[in-house]
Formats: sequence, C-alpha cells, structure tokens
Amino acid sequence: MDRIWHSVAFRLALICGALVIASVFLFSTVFYFATIGVMARTIDGKIKSISIRLSDDAQTHGLNSVAQRIEHTLSDGVDSDTEILLLSDPNGKKLAGNISGWSDRAAPLDQVIDRVVMRGSGVSPSRVLLHRLNDGALLIVGRDMQDINEIRILIARAVMIGGVLAVLLAVIGTLIFRKEIEKRISSIRHATIDIEAGNLSRRIPMSGTPDEFGRLSADINRMLDRIQQLMEGVRHVSNIIAHNLRTPLGLIRGHLEESMRGTRDLEKLEAAGEFAIEEIDNLIVVLEKLLQIAEAESSTRRQPFEQVSIRQVVTNLLELYDAAAEDLGVEIVTDITGDPFIAGDKDLLAGILANLIDNALKYAGSPALIKIAAAQHGDFICLIVEDNGPGIPETERHKVVQKFYRVNRQTRGSGLGLSIVAAFTQLHGGSMDIEDAEPGFRVRITLPISGSPTLPNGNKSSPL
Amino acid sequence: MRILVIEDETDMARYLCDGLRQADFEVQHCSDAASGLRHALEYKWDAMIVDRMLPDDEDGLSIIRTLRNQQNKTPVLVLSALASLDERVKGLREGGDDYLTKPFAFPELLARLDALTRRYSSSASDQSRTIKIADLSIDLSTRRVERAGQTINLQPREFRLLEYLARNQNQVVTRTMLLESVWDFHFDPGTNVIDVQISRLRTKIDKGFSTPLLHTVRGAGYKFGING
Repeated sequence: MDRIWHSVAFRLALICGALVIASVFLFSTVFYFATIGVMARTIDGKIKSISIRLSDDAQTHGLNSVAQRIEHTLSDGVDSDTEILLLSDPNGKKLAGNISGWSDRAAPLDQVIDRVVMRGSGVSPSRVLLHRLNDGALLIVGRDMQDINEIRILIARAVMIGGVLAVLLAVIGTLIFRKEIEKRISSIRHATIDIEAGNLSRRIPMSGTPDEFGRLSADINRMLDRIQQLMEGVRHVSNIIAHNLRTPLGLIRGHLEESMRGTRDLEKLEAAGEFAIEEIDNLIVVLEKLLQIAEAESSTRRQPFEQVSIRQVVTNLLELYDAAAEDLGVEIVTDITGDPFIAGDKDLLAGILANLIDNALKYAGSPALIKIAAAQHGDFICLIVEDNGPGIPETERHKVVQKFYRVNRQTRGSGLGLSIVAAFTQLHGGSMDIEDAEPGFRVRITLPISGSPTLPNGNKSSPL
Repeated sequence: MRILVIEDETDMARYLCDGLRQADFEVQHCSDAASGLRHALEYKWDAMIVDRMLPDDEDGLSIIRTLRNQQNKTPVLVLSALASLDERVKGLREGGDDYLTKPFAFPELLARLDALTRRYSSSASDQSRTIKIADLSIDLSTRRVERAGQTINLQPREFRLLEYLARNQNQVVTRTMLLESVWDFHFDPGTNVIDVQISRLRTKIDKGFSTPLLHTVRGAGYKFGING
C-alpha cells in the first residue's frame, strides 16, 4: 500500500478520479436545482396566487361565494388530482374543500409549508398555505407533491448510478494510467539498471512516439552518448599518457643500467646521470602540462577573472618571442584593432597565444611570417595566429587537438600545445577553429569578452 | 646564513639539508608544523623553507600566517607538490615570499633562496640610481647603458632583463625567475625563448669587450658579474 502511495502515476490518477467524481456531483447538483428547484418554486408561487385570489373574493363577496368557487374548482376536472383546497368557518367547521379538516392549530400562517394531509381516499404529502381571513375563517390552499417526489427519487437514483459509474471509471482509469506510465518508465529503469551494471553501450529503446517520455528517453540517450564518448576519451588518454611516460622512463632506466654495468667509468656515470635529469625534467614539464589541461578542463580554477588587455598580453609575448623568432629567421607581425579587453586569466590567455606562437615557430619553417591579429566583434574577441608555413593536411586537422598527437614526429615537442590551447579557450567560454591559411596554419580563437563560459555541455536544454 | 627547513618527508629533508649545508648554509630541520612554528618563533632565521602538506593535516601556510600575524617578516620559500597556479597564488597571498613546486632542481632552489635573502637584506638600501659593474654602467633613471664609454642601445625589455640581472649580480638566476620577474609570466613558454633572449643581450653587452659579464651556469641558469 505504501509503495502504491509513493507512485506518482497512482497519485496523479487518484487526483484525476477525484476530479471526475467531483464534477459529476457538481453537475448533478446544478441539474437538480435547475429542474426540481424551479418546479418547487413555480408551485409555491401558484399556491400563493390562488390563496390571494380566494381571500380577495372572500373580502368582496363573502364566504359563501368562496365556498362556491372552491366547489367549482374542485369539480372542473383540471388538476383535480393535485389541487388541495379547504375553507372552514371560525369554529373549524368545514364549509368547502377536498381535505377532511385541519387540526394543527400551531401551524404557521401565510407561508408555504410541507404537510401530510388526508385527501379523499388516502394520505398525500403536500405543500400547503394557511391563511386566516378577516372574520376568522381559515383558508387552506395546497398542492399534492406525490408526482414531484417521484421525479425527485428518479433523479437521485440516476445521480447515484451515474456517480457509482464515474467512480468505477475513475478507478479503472487510474489503473490503466498507472500501468501505462509504469510500462514507459520501466523501460527506462531497466536500461539505467543495466547501464549502472557497466553496460555503457545500452540505450533506452525508442517507442517512436514523440511524447514526453519519448523526448526524455532521447535526452537520456544523448547524455549517455556523451558520457560514453568521455569515458572512451579518458581511456584513450590514459593509454596515451601511459605510453608517453613509459617511453622516457624506459630510456632513463636503460641509460642508468648501462652506465653501471661492468667497469665503473665516472664519465659514463655522469653522462647517464645528466641524461636522466634532462629526461626527468621533460617528464615534469609534460606532467605539469597535463595538470594544467586537467585543471582547465574540469574548470576547477577558483581564481577570479580580471580585465585583461589583449594588446598588453600580445606586446608582452612579442617581447618574449622576438629574439627566438629573429634567431629562426621568422618575422612576427601584429594587427590589433583598438584596445580590446576581456575578462579572463592573464596567464592562461598568454598561455593560449604563447603555445600558438611556439607552434608556429616550430613548424612554419624558415623564413616565415607569423601574423597575430585581434579584433572585437560585438561581445566576442577574435584572436588569430597564422603562419605561411606548410600548414597541415585537411585530414590531420581534427586530430591536432588530441593530446600527444604530433603531425611531425621529428620535431621535438610534447604534443600537448594545442590541447592546452583548446582547454584554456574552453575555460574562457570560447571556441577554437583550425583553418587553412592558404598556405599555412591558422588558428582562430573566439572568446566572449565577459569571460563567462556557456553551460558545461555547451548547449542549452531544449524546452519540452 | 641560517635556514629553517620544515619538511616531513625524511628523504626530501635529508636531500634539502645536505644540499643547503654544501652551499654553506646553517640548517635546522623540523618535521612537523608544531615544532616548526616553535623554532620559527623562538630563533632568528635568515630564511625558511616550508613544505605545505605536513603531518596531522597541517598546511605549512598556517605557519606562515601565524608568523605574519606576529609581524615576523622572515622570508619564506614555500616548497610544495601542490603545483597548480591557484595554489601558488594562495601560497603567496598567505605571506610566502616565493613558491617552488616539487620536483625541483636544486640550483633553482638555491638561486631563489639567494634572491630571497638578498631582497630581504637590501630592499631598503637599494636607492642607488646607477649600477656599475666593471666598465659597464647602467643609469636606472635615464635608462642609459654604457660600456667602456660606448653607448649600448637596448630595447625596453632588454633593459629590464639587464637591470634584473645587474640587481642580482653574482647570484645565479634561473630561467623561471627571469620569466616571472622580467616578463611577469607564470607559465612554461616551451622553447628556449629565455636562452635566446640572453644570447641576444650577451651579443650587445659582451661582444667585443675583454671581460664577459653574462655567464651561463650549467644546469641552473645565468649569473651576471665579473667572475663566472
């Protein structure tokens, strides 16, 4: 019972059923007053008007005339089975009428009341009006209510049967409703239980109807797609990380082992030690970069964003990379429109550009031209770093943001540069596009100047 | 120079203390926050090296906070495996004077320690407007650099680089220190950008003169002065 009460479907259905029953009773009540009520009021009005007419007659023509009129009315055959009339003198003696007499002296005068009277052959439940005439004579006008009562009972019975049927239908409806919802939900529940058990590729079967449950199922399936994709990404990355850490570790181990084998040659030992330190330093750099990416990807930075001048950052970077560029025979030119500011983290924004410049210096060849452009378009700032080097083939373009992916394995590098750029850009709520500079490699970073990232999944939930 | 080392990990502490003693520091080691704080307050130190994750869930930063609240201005180098930029910022905000992440290169630690103790002892007296080393003179107010009577033209950033090196003359400065102090960047720029900057500066101030002033210290960084 407790379980049933905790079912939303049951509660919803119950509320529905209660509403149906309530509306049946409301309808019946309105119907009752519109029929029986109106009839009762008409009858009361008629009784009052006859009583007034007869007492007026008594005033002008005397009791005898009234008695005659009563006799006439009773014998004319119109409504004779329902009309009730009595005229008795001040002493209670019956002068005319079709009921035996009136004994109840306490009965209220001049208002229509319910009374059972003796009429002709039997009793009849009636509405009657008692009026005392000026000379003390009693005039009673009334109407037999037997037929009305029968209608009343008929209606009551109809309402009762209708009500019972309504309750029955509501209960059946509740059960069907509950079963239907339970059926739809259980397919979702079965899928989620299966997924919880580890079967991440399981999806909720789509019924094909685009109703609420259909849309919910589609949403959940989309979410599952995304989770699975992320999980695979994590698995992929841990494999790659393992590979990229294991290789230099193996190298270090080999060098150290070799240097200690056989005769202890101090020079050999020193060389191996130096090699180990250098390789370990590289590993530390890689680890630090991975940490930065992880930090940015999980948006765990708590440092508040500040207003950063893009011009300032670019100038600073230029004065850092100018010597290296000069050395490589590469020219760096900038094209910054105005003095755009952005809410962000100065070091991360510089990190984005530094990695892009570093990439360009590494891969554009020599001589080359690197262009850094920044311009504000509405609420966004567009940063472009491009070179006129060989660029990368279209097929490789989507792979370069993957961690540890390197187009040219001959060049020394961690393969994390563009991953860092992508992660830092995402942290600032921006997007990154890789384009063909014809010829050359162009990266376009679009950042909102407010620095506020969009929703974590990058899109808004669709309205139901 | 007396250094207090607060570090709970035995191997790391031994490595630190041995290295510092070899570099002619007088070293005292504490392995937990309570004794560390006691030593820090009771004696006078030229500098302190404080680890962050100490036993009993103590954060080394709490020691620094207590010191700073008592107006104790002993320079503190925070040494921690907590490497994220946020943690660095927190460490410096809590009163640390420098923040070095583990694993680290010992020359880097020594260079930073030198800079710390020097900064501390000379920060007030450094009012001179001209720095002279051998036949090189740097006028800090007019930003004029001359060597043996010859004017040397430097770009603004090159001047700042030279100024920083000259202010820390005869001390090892590392690439990270230069990047942080001269360019105000706290990230790894990847390629050997600092080396190239230094070699360009070297061409301008040393080439054609008898005594080289800008020396490379292998495995550590650079040193500015008459003796390499």
